[in-house]
Amino acid sequence: MQRTDVNTSSSTPELSMNHPATPMKPLRETYAGKHLVVTGTTGFLGKVWLAMVLDFLPEVGHITLLIRGKKGESADERFTRIFEASPAFRPLRDKLGQELRALIADKVTVKKAALTEPLCGFSESEAKELMANVDAVVHFAGLTDFEPDPQWSIDANIHGAAHVADLAALSPKHRYVHVSTTFVGGMRNGEIAEVVTPGISPNGTRFDPSEELRICEAEIAKLETKKERIDLVMARAQALGWPNIYTYSKGLSEHLIDLRTDVVTTTYRPAIVECARNYPFQGWNEGINTSGPIVWLLSTSFQRFPAKATNNFDIVPVDTVARTMVMVTGRALEDTAQHVYQCASGHQNPFTFERAVDLCGIAIRRMHKRTGNSVEKNFTAYLDSHCADPTKTEVLGFRRMQKAAKATRSFLRSHKLERYLSPSLFEKIDGKRIQKALDEVSKEARSTDRILDRVDGMLRQYRPFIHDYNYTFLTDNLVIDTQMLAEEDRERFGFDIHDICWRDYWMNTQVPGLEKWSLPLMRNEKVPDDPPLPRLGEEKARRTGEFVIAGQPTPANETMVRAS
Amino acid sequence: MSTAAFFRVEGTLTERSALSAAAWIATHAQGLGERVARLGNIALATPFRIAGEMQFGTTATKMTWMGVRGMSEDRLVLLGEEYFETYMKDEVLEVGERLLKEARKQGRRIILISDSVDVVVAPLAKHLGADDLICNRLELRKNKATGKLEEPVIGGNVAGQWAREFASEHAIDLSQSWAYGASAADSLLMSALGQPCAVNPDRQLRRLAKDHSWPVVEK
Repeated sequence: MQRTDVNTSSSTPELSMNHPATPMKPLRETYAGKHLVVTGTTGFLGKVWLAMVLDFLPEVGHITLLIRGKKGESADERFTRIFEASPAFRPLRDKLGQELRALIADKVTVKKAALTEPLCGFSESEAKELMANVDAVVHFAGLTDFEPDPQWSIDANIHGAAHVADLAALSPKHRYVHVSTTFVGGMRNGEIAEVVTPGISPNGTRFDPSEELRICEAEIAKLETKKERIDLVMARAQALGWPNIYTYSKGLSEHLIDLRTDVVTTTYRPAIVECARNYPFQGWNEGINTSGPIVWLLSTSFQRFPAKATNNFDIVPVDTVARTMVMVTGRALEDTAQHVYQCASGHQNPFTFERAVDLCGIAIRRMHKRTGNSVEKNFTAYLDSHCADPTKTEVLGFRRMQKAAKATRSFLRSHKLERYLSPSLFEKIDGKRIQKALDEVSKEARSTDRILDRVDGMLRQYRPFIHDYNYTFLTDNLVIDTQMLAEEDRERFGFDIHDICWRDYWMNTQVPGLEKWSLPLMRNEKVPDDPPLPRLGEEKARRTGEFVIAGQPTPANETMVRAS
Repeated sequence: MSTAAFFRVEGTLTERSALSAAAWIATHAQGLGERVARLGNIALATPFRIAGEMQFGTTATKMTWMGVRGMSEDRLVLLGEEYFETYMKDEVLEVGERLLKEARKQGRRIILISDSVDVVVAPLAKHLGADDLICNRLELRKNKATGKLEEPVIGGNVAGQWAREFASEHAIDLSQSWAYGASAADSLLMSALGQPCAVNPDRQLRRLAKDHSWPVVEK
């Protein structure tokens, strides 16, 4: 591998000047009658994108979803659960009620697929038949864990994308929209341009992406433990300038896709996708995303957050990402899309870690005052966090806390009171009660140790993004395309990052959203789905004041008239 | 020309002074040590406040807000809103609110004058539906308070001068306008207007009101 001085960011002004800036047709017209094949619609972003398309562009011809079965649920069942109960589909359920089922039946087909298998698990004839009248393939699916077993990451993010692109190559127009991440920019500071440089890694090393993948997989196959595999791939990733396995697999995938000549690729790179501003509703989030653990960490008594204050915290609301993805897919359908789009905040409306931590302090104090226990209300609420140098953070007690918790637990486990006291003295001082209290302390120490372990792991994984590198992901292409949108689409599908008041977003959307949708998961609690969409009989019964006997079939003759 | 009603916020609409707002904000700074240092800084302004604004002009006002130096705009705005919600919203003086409603009913433009800062009094002005707010603004550099107030500084006994300038800019007939004040420092504002009214006046203002036959309204 050779190093080169190629500076990918220098091409931005040229790229902007070369942007065709073709005015777009109304998206309703662009999507009308089109057949899309989409992956990853069970994920956070894919769901919102799909709901938006069905909600605002019902003229779309047909959408075929490629979904795999999971945990005993078939692909069909998974999607049914999503459109019937996921908060992402709440606006559609509220708007259409029972008619949503008809819309889904008319517009959506679910196909069981395995993206990690060639042609996504379809036979060649099935694949050809499926793709015969497809206008574009949109690939959201991916594995976003930072440190998974590397082969999983390679299977999902590299082979999965290649298999989906293989399907796109079978379609008449070969259009393929590939969702990646801005963090493929790697271990670099400064502006990251909207370009792919196949064969040149983020640190300027010239390499053969296919060969890199082949060697990496061969090396992985030789190793027995997950830790060895992670260490190997981390080392390979960092040698090329990617900070972790996730960005390595996504980056390598971009390079491999870009070298293909059988598909017309549009790459879309979102930054950190966070709580919705408006769609499906304010504050909605799903799962544990990047800022969830950060907010959770700052809500504990851990006071020093190891981030560089002036670095961009590049978050984007999920609906901003979804709406611009609708626009970019429209561009791809018109064959006027740019090669790469980045959807990030740092270029147009930067938000720094210093601001995030400052705002978190106030938001968390309010949260503790409202819902906290007595310790949180009277103590933790008054401790605000700061950005701090990670090395100093260790000096300031993080490691010591962990050591103390471990030592306390180990001491209490191996030194039981009964061993040191005579039975009569043990009974006299109510030793059982004291021992029980000591066992409680031991449990607390274990829980603290576990939490600190988790925090340590998180901070280690996040460190490149929150401390070591300061990126500004350029977003010129979305800005220009927004200007080119038809008047009727601009407000709904335009890039709206400059409209965000971060103070308002953080206090009234992000932290309340995380409090409701993500922090319970951090505490191993469940976040409930919406009440399922009622069956026809149930909805009629609700409207007419009747109710249905729980657990019974719902024909009209089995409803009971509510006693007035 | 229109008429207006000028209300000095401190004393007529709230009993809370700018000093208490600044102290509360200081106690909610980011760091524990920082809170103590900021409070100490604000405490330096107290003797000037006690000695009286008439003697020291805007010095006390300037010193009061030096303690928030380095605090972020975000924190100041949010703490200002919180201070209003916690200590001002439900404690608006009844007599002041009644006078304000009467003035509005009579078609006067409602103008609040305060030596506190905008992050604290803007929510109050919005809550009371005031048409204009004349108050101090914290100077910000890179979204952080420098500890200075933007010129011109409102405070001490200069409110009258501000009322005159505001009136000429907005075509307000001062001879037909009302001024509501509560302390001796407001006397120059009140004497600049045709219709002065003392609300819960302090000893000095009460004497002045008596000398000039200004109406006095008590709680």
